[in-house]
Amino acid sequence: MSSRTSSPDFPPLYAERPEWSDVVPIPQNDEDANPIAPIFYTPEYKDATDYFRGIVKTGEKSKRVLELTESIIRLNPAHYSAWQYRYQTLLSTSSSLSDELTLMDTYATEFLKTYQVWHHRRLLLTLLHQPPSSPSPSSPTPTTTTSPTHTPTTTPPLPLQAELTFITSALRTDAKNYHTWAYRQWVLSHFSRPELWSGEISFVESMLDEDVRNNSAWHHRFFVVFASGVREGDEDREEVRRRELAYTKEKIALAPNNGSAWNYLRGILTHTHTPFATQADFVLPYTLPYPSPSQTEPLDKDVDVKMTDEDKDTDKDEKNSSPENTVVDLENPRPEAGADLPSPLAIEFMADIYEERGGKEDVLSAVELWKSLRDEHDTIRKNYWEFRINDALHPSR
Amino acid sequence: MAEDPNFTLNKASHASHCLRCLRGLPGSFAEADTSRVAIGFYCLGALDILGLLSQKVNESVRQGYIDWIYNQQTASPLGTGFRPSPYSSVSTSASDSQQDDHLFDRPNLIMTYTALLSLAILRDDLTRVDRKGLVNLVRHSQQDDGSFSAFPGKGEADLRIVYTAFAICHMLDDWSSVNIDKAISFIRTCRTYEGGYGEVPFSEAQGGPTYCALASLHLLPAEYSSSATLSVKERRSTVRWLAQNQAKDGGFRGRTEKVADACYSFWCGASLRILGAANEVDEASNADFLNRCQFRTGGIAKTPNEVPDPYHTYLSLAALAMYPPKTENLTWSLPRLDPLLNATEETARWARDHLRISAIS
Repeated sequence: MSSRTSSPDFPPLYAERPEWSDVVPIPQNDEDANPIAPIFYTPEYKDATDYFRGIVKTGEKSKRVLELTESIIRLNPAHYSAWQYRYQTLLSTSSSLSDELTLMDTYATEFLKTYQVWHHRRLLLTLLHQPPSSPSPSSPTPTTTTSPTHTPTTTPPLPLQAELTFITSALRTDAKNYHTWAYRQWVLSHFSRPELWSGEISFVESMLDEDVRNNSAWHHRFFVVFASGVREGDEDREEVRRRELAYTKEKIALAPNNGSAWNYLRGILTHTHTPFATQADFVLPYTLPYPSPSQTEPLDKDVDVKMTDEDKDTDKDEKNSSPENTVVDLENPRPEAGADLPSPLAIEFMADIYEERGGKEDVLSAVELWKSLRDEHDTIRKNYWEFRINDALHPSR
Repeated sequence: MAEDPNFTLNKASHASHCLRCLRGLPGSFAEADTSRVAIGFYCLGALDILGLLSQKVNESVRQGYIDWIYNQQTASPLGTGFRPSPYSSVSTSASDSQQDDHLFDRPNLIMTYTALLSLAILRDDLTRVDRKGLVNLVRHSQQDDGSFSAFPGKGEADLRIVYTAFAICHMLDDWSSVNIDKAISFIRTCRTYEGGYGEVPFSEAQGGPTYCALASLHLLPAEYSSSATLSVKERRSTVRWLAQNQAKDGGFRGRTEKVADACYSFWCGASLRILGAANEVDEASNADFLNRCQFRTGGIAKTPNEVPDPYHTYLSLAALAMYPPKTENLTWSLPRLDPLLNATEETARWARDHLRISAIS
């Protein structure tokens, strides 16, 4: 990368630099009588793009073009022609792609929301880690218009693991950035190396420890555990299902109104063809006010909702109950003290259990729950609950 | 709510916001270089929904806009379409154009879709559109996995671009250039466990791509309806996810557990309408949220007290056109919207009638 001598904040205009005097700048040709949304460019942007058009016209691909395209990208990271020309110039000049990737580290955090930043990174990483054999036909291929036989001249690429570390740090700036997550999913699935996948679960858990409502992290977990296939060490799918259910329910206990965790619970059950009814004991306490001394439970009279963990009965023959009185029932963790209950998401889930069972009485029980959502607990969706009621009582399909 | 004096759609000031943007953007909007045609569509589309286009923009300026849009029509060996603006053109005159230009000054499917709708909004007769070139452009933009990239050849591809390709084919009434089965299978791979769709395979369910997926499937010719229709279970979970995205403040969010943003009133609202579940939207609280997103000097912002922009202004108005609040206040009355093409029904009809290939041959 060429070094900048002047202050990076206020470099001189290209028009003022003797070393650029051989380039004929080309102004934008937008001379219509009524252009739509013309931009009153800053002098810096107009200058840089005039010289860029001049360079494109002559087809020059040299080190100084890297400086010019960097200037433009800093002023407008969505300038996809500058990105593309820069990429081609990197290849033509046999520049170090590793150095470019390092430069991109700062761009990615500055311009997180720009597609081009991530696309460029993808092209670089693809070239840096090209497997000796041909890549899989379904994977995205770079828009290589110049010679693809680029050989990096300097430092060898960092291991791909470093890319995941970089993404993790970018997520610290914006934990739900859509492009950043999509890029992580691409790195994992495109290169698909066991060592890359191995740390993903603990990575997701650290993200969810930060913010249990980060749906991007929940989605990523589903991608890693279920959607991307079965990897070594995870072949026991029954064990995987048990692990995921336990984890999710623990998180629901922590925040009973977290839609992300409930959606994940639904996702596990649907993906593994497990009836929702298997979760009835877990869900029930979340459908009731908390604390409520007079509460009775229609499904399991042995369980007292307001009991603390210490009070909990030990006679249940669940495999996870502990011999000691003090250990939490992992299968059915209770709402944390002070939780905002009942949770509309739990009521919805319970109604789905009833509807799934399908008996006439069950449907009526579901209808009662939907009515409570419609009239009291989730009135913003009153039309939706009304639809569910009508749909269950008068099925048209 | 109807009695609240603050519950008023400030049509004239939203029109002013769009007119200001059409006339020019400040230098801090340099990023608009690569999307000026789309920004034009949001401004013109908002004026169209407001019913103020011919009143606020005189005929010669409207003609000027039409000419400018046609000046963005760009031919390339891989098809003809519209570019976002002349920002990458190195031709100093119309006759001076090199083959090399095409690499950087290229037609783009997203811009092509918004340019065609803008021309329809301006009631241009569309005779200057290179239809055969459009068909070619769509053909060369489809990728091996069935998706489409914004430009011909290999490149970034996602559901947004599938949608724009499909909308173009639908308006042309010509699907000959598309491998439809592959495209449907790509759309399906973007579906997630939540019931929505991500922008690319494996990515998180989000309101925008969900709209693009559902609208694409419904734009297809009737003979594909069996392979394009969601199963009963799929439809259920998608409707549930969309309904769950209406937040307590009345607006819609784009992803689970995020805050509402005005644009998702359109993306999620139109998705529900496409699925025949429009009744499930609470239109009163949705309108109340959008009412609060109105900026005092015009335009609509993504959330209350934010700065407005043409994108959120247009999509909020489009959402309100689909989900008008029940009120005596007539400012909220807007023309009906076509949820599949994202234009007023009249504009959508104009586009279909004038663009279909059979209209000229």
